[in-house]
Amino acid sequence: MINDFNYLKPGTLEEAFAMYAEHDDCKVICGGQSLLIVMRQGMIAPEYLLDIKHIKELNYIKFDKKDGLKIGATTIHRAIEKSDVIKKNYPVLVAMENKLASIQVRNWGTIGGNIAHADPAGDPAPVLIALKASVKFGGAAGEKTMPLEDFFVDYFETALSKGELVLEIQVPVPEPKTGAAYQKFNLLESDMGVVAAAASVTLNGNGKCKDARIVLGNAGPTPRRIKRAEELLAGKVLNEKLFAEAGKIASEDCEPVADIHASEEHRRHILGVLTKRMLQKAFDEAKA
Amino acid sequence: MEKQLLRLTVNGQEYELYINPKTLLVEAIRDHIGLIGTKRGCDTVSCGACTVMIDGASVKSCSVLAMQAEGAQITTIEGLEKNGKLAPIQKAFLDHGSYQCGFCAPGMIMSAQALLNENPAPTEWEIREGIEGNICRCTGYNSIVRAIDATAKGKYAEVKS
Amino acid sequence: MNKYTVINPHSEFKVINTHVHNIDGTAKVTGRATYTFDVKLPNMLYGKILRSPHAHAKILKIDYSRAMELPGVMGVVTGKEDTLGIKQGIWRRYQDLCDEQVLPVDKVRYIGEPVAAVAAITEEIAEKALDYIDVDYEVLPGVYEPLDAIKKDAPEIHEGFERNINVTRHIEWGDVDAAFEEAEYVREDWFKCGGQAHMCMETRAAVSSYTPDGKLTIYHSNQSPYYMQGLMAGVLGMREGDIRVISTYVGGGFGGKFELDGAIFCSAVLSRKLFKPVKIVYTREEDFIATKRRTPMFYYVRTGVKKDGTFCAREAKVFTNGGAYTGMGATALYLTGFFHSFPYRWKGYRYDGYRVYTNTLPSTSMRGFGAPQAMFCSEQQIEWIAADLGLDPIDMRRKNSHHEGYEVPGQATIASCGIDQCYDEIRKWINDKGKLPANRAIGISACGFMSGGIFNWFDTPYSFSSAVVSINQDGTVELFVGAQEIGQGSNTTLAIICAETLGVKIEDIKVHSGDTDYCPPDLGAWGSRQTLMAGNAVKMAAEAAKKQLLEFAYAQSGFNIVYDLDIKDRWVHAIARPERGYDYGELVKKAIRGKDGQKIVGRGYYTPHRKGMISPAYSYMLQGVEVEVDEETGKIKLVDSMTAHDCGQPINHLGLIGQLEGAFSMAAGYGYLEYMPYEDGKLMNPNLVDYKMIRATEMPPANIAEIDTYEPEGPYGAKEAGEGLTNPTAAAIGNALFHRFGIQMKECPITPEMILNALKEKKETEKERKGKK
Repeated sequence: MINDFNYLKPGTLEEAFAMYAEHDDCKVICGGQSLLIVMRQGMIAPEYLLDIKHIKELNYIKFDKKDGLKIGATTIHRAIEKSDVIKKNYPVLVAMENKLASIQVRNWGTIGGNIAHADPAGDPAPVLIALKASVKFGGAAGEKTMPLEDFFVDYFETALSKGELVLEIQVPVPEPKTGAAYQKFNLLESDMGVVAAAASVTLNGNGKCKDARIVLGNAGPTPRRIKRAEELLAGKVLNEKLFAEAGKIASEDCEPVADIHASEEHRRHILGVLTKRMLQKAFDEAKA
Repeated sequence: MEKQLLRLTVNGQEYELYINPKTLLVEAIRDHIGLIGTKRGCDTVSCGACTVMIDGASVKSCSVLAMQAEGAQITTIEGLEKNGKLAPIQKAFLDHGSYQCGFCAPGMIMSAQALLNENPAPTEWEIREGIEGNICRCTGYNSIVRAIDATAKGKYAEVKS
Repeated sequence: MNKYTVINPHSEFKVINTHVHNIDGTAKVTGRATYTFDVKLPNMLYGKILRSPHAHAKILKIDYSRAMELPGVMGVVTGKEDTLGIKQGIWRRYQDLCDEQVLPVDKVRYIGEPVAAVAAITEEIAEKALDYIDVDYEVLPGVYEPLDAIKKDAPEIHEGFERNINVTRHIEWGDVDAAFEEAEYVREDWFKCGGQAHMCMETRAAVSSYTPDGKLTIYHSNQSPYYMQGLMAGVLGMREGDIRVISTYVGGGFGGKFELDGAIFCSAVLSRKLFKPVKIVYTREEDFIATKRRTPMFYYVRTGVKKDGTFCAREAKVFTNGGAYTGMGATALYLTGFFHSFPYRWKGYRYDGYRVYTNTLPSTSMRGFGAPQAMFCSEQQIEWIAADLGLDPIDMRRKNSHHEGYEVPGQATIASCGIDQCYDEIRKWINDKGKLPANRAIGISACGFMSGGIFNWFDTPYSFSSAVVSINQDGTVELFVGAQEIGQGSNTTLAIICAETLGVKIEDIKVHSGDTDYCPPDLGAWGSRQTLMAGNAVKMAAEAAKKQLLEFAYAQSGFNIVYDLDIKDRWVHAIARPERGYDYGELVKKAIRGKDGQKIVGRGYYTPHRKGMISPAYSYMLQGVEVEVDEETGKIKLVDSMTAHDCGQPINHLGLIGQLEGAFSMAAGYGYLEYMPYEDGKLMNPNLVDYKMIRATEMPPANIAEIDTYEPEGPYGAKEAGEGLTNPTAAAIGNALFHRFGIQMKECPITPEMILNALKEKKETEKERKGKK
């Protein structure tokens, strides 16, 4: 049963900032696909609910070849999945969105809401971090931008301070010869990942690895970069053996938590397998 | 908590409701307006029995506050038939036996209709993805997939004389 | 997408096995179908149930005075104050198996068991009120697994049940030990089979209305309104005739909705106290934690065969997790043992089943009724034996299979059996596939199932099935049946039988079911009984009505009495001169006039006699499943399937396909997805996020080859379809893994982690073996 709350519906972003600053014990709802579930379970019972779903100023997908991709926080997942410009420049985002829950959820749930919810099993964050994305957030007191990987603090906790909203996701233009891949291991096609791995690989002109990123999902309190493995790959001529080694490091450098769906050991193993596979996939794409 | 006035447009009809803002869209539709064709089967946005269309797109009405649907065109299962004539997708469900107990059918049909609105010629896989948010315990889904496929291929289209 | 073929089809029918839409389809696809979930009565209150947080505890005191102070709360009921404390159960002929007080008086035995119920003017207030009911418990030690509960020093869950053994069942035929002596190869294995939730889309729901004249009307989502009427009369101390149960549309059953549940019982007790209608709808979580489930089992099987693959003897010992109460467990325990022998001939067969009480959710019947567990063990072991002996698994199965006329000693006589042709069809399907990709393999599994049980533990004095056919003056037909439509299409199937028999069109038939006030008693929808039993009753009723019509037709016609008259497609005619006839409606009008205005009414019933111990008829099937395996992650995906199936004469074409596809999806879920883990008696996944079910994207093609046989005991030759097919799939998946990797999956559902562990174990064993060399 959802506890009673007072409903606030700002018309503009400015109004939203003002209302959010004004009300203590206020929670923000956007698509609400996760929030309403935890509210129904009584885990969250705010006095005020600030609805920003309709704020048009935050509903956009913009791309240019200099600044890259900008996605407004209230953009629904389905819009990202269907965006031609994203499909062309960041196909991994489209593939990720296509497997995010069901169409109904993607039709109402938003990217900003997903990021702000900070579920470690969330799909977008690992991919976005692999793509070196940043997040813009702010409130009445001003805006700031930080790398998305620094935004997640703990289970369901972010760098957002009181009165601040997620405003925009920014993804730089991928360097030439870059590939990226994401896969989750789940029991059903569209299920939350038991664990997940994203990887990006950028190659030098000489074919060696210029830069690699490995980001694991649901392998700890926050999306987790496996820097030890990234360093292993940097500067090297990549091959299957290295990917397997990186996978091994990933399965060591994570802290997945066991539950009824998989033991910790099984999760570590799968994370290793996924890391290896995603690196290979990203590498193949970078070469192509 | 202050009750709020809400104007909700369902199946082309505007309803004026005075509700607790925590009211979910499915509750507004079923309990306040009285359109009980839309069902509920879980509390975790998992089963899809409550699927309706909001501005033509499928949404689980248990995952949306009624207040959030203000100004939108909501379509429920009751809104598909016109003057007693079933929509093609409804005819297809009948003809393929795409329901058994029928409890998932309203939500399933709304997902199917939304899919066809967006993608008039889906592949089999796209059809399956289009309804993967809907659980059916009875049919095993394949008869539903066949019905959507046949509808997309125009088998149940109204023939204009 | 799917292929459906019929082997040796019959075609003399006008309605049977034609493309008939479900007769309640229009209501269901337009949102008009009104389920108990949708029922709203004037002055209705909403009820909620307070549930035990403890797996095992004495209820010392319940104080609900604070709850009564909440505005909007109308009343609270407890077992001690408001019920007769009657221990009830569906096995009401056997007092010791009636062990469940739906609202317990002094002790709770599982987490989620009802403790008190409250009614309020809104559901929200009722829910809030639960927090204001204070219960003092004395927590008792709990026990959760049958092999723990059976120990000597285990906590006693029910008084007087030594070692918590609830029921035992023994089946034996032949000289088992001598038959084992004959065997040249003996293999034994232990298995573990999981539980499974019925997961009906409509959760348990009831609206009860007790009125000052002492009558009780209940809308309830169930599989047998007659059982509910009888059981409720028992627990409330009322007469059956004063209780009306209405179950027009039911959102799924699957074996979980023919016992009293908290919704029906608590709403009725509240309504009787408050004289207002009370509605209780379970949340999904309540439906998971506080209904019943498929029975988890520990299974020992020992099988002896000759080197040429001739089956000699088998013995099985089974310990099942009964949970807190008996439910339908006693029947399931027997059927597990019986179907474990299927579909094969054993010279000697012995089965000992022990159903053990634990402090967990009670287990009960669920689609397949104990057989899916039995087949998971049996059909894998048979595959392993074939491999051990280097024999072809299909040939070995075929050689030992049932056949027409076979008698399962002391248990059953097989009057129709199409399993032999099933082997051909599956062989063909496998051969047509040719070489499979390296990550795929096929597994097969055979089984059989019953067409209704010959059990009367409910102790009904009524026929097992009854029907009334009443013909209106315009020729339209009212068919009254006690059989219960729960989505399986029984109303349509029965309408088809009625239309075929009377010689009218399907649209002439209006079926009335799901209302004890108007429909004749019938045991309802369970054990695959309705097509055969209710079908026979309908056929008899329709024949009785038709006979009256034809008598009038004869009297009018002036035909020589050696001529036979008939009605087909509403056309009354002499069979020898079909072109000379007239409209059936005309005949009906005249016949009614001739009867001084009485409607034409026919009655029919069915009660099995001299049909053995179990069932009047048995269906047979063989399934092949093509499975793709990710060797590194253990993830499996079903990519294709074929079921060769013998259900006698198919009656309801669309319904049959739907039943087979649906049973397959449920069986596949049992095979690799649907697990119910408990920790200290607490279910760890009571929601649809964590309880995984097959969705459209998981479902492979479900091809069907229907072997059209004729079952003499069934209406028009029909027998079971749609429950039996829940049985083979888990084993077929296991067998595919066996063929792909040589691993033996002894626990279901088969999860990715189990597959990886089995692979690891196999590698280690091989290493060890090499090391020894």
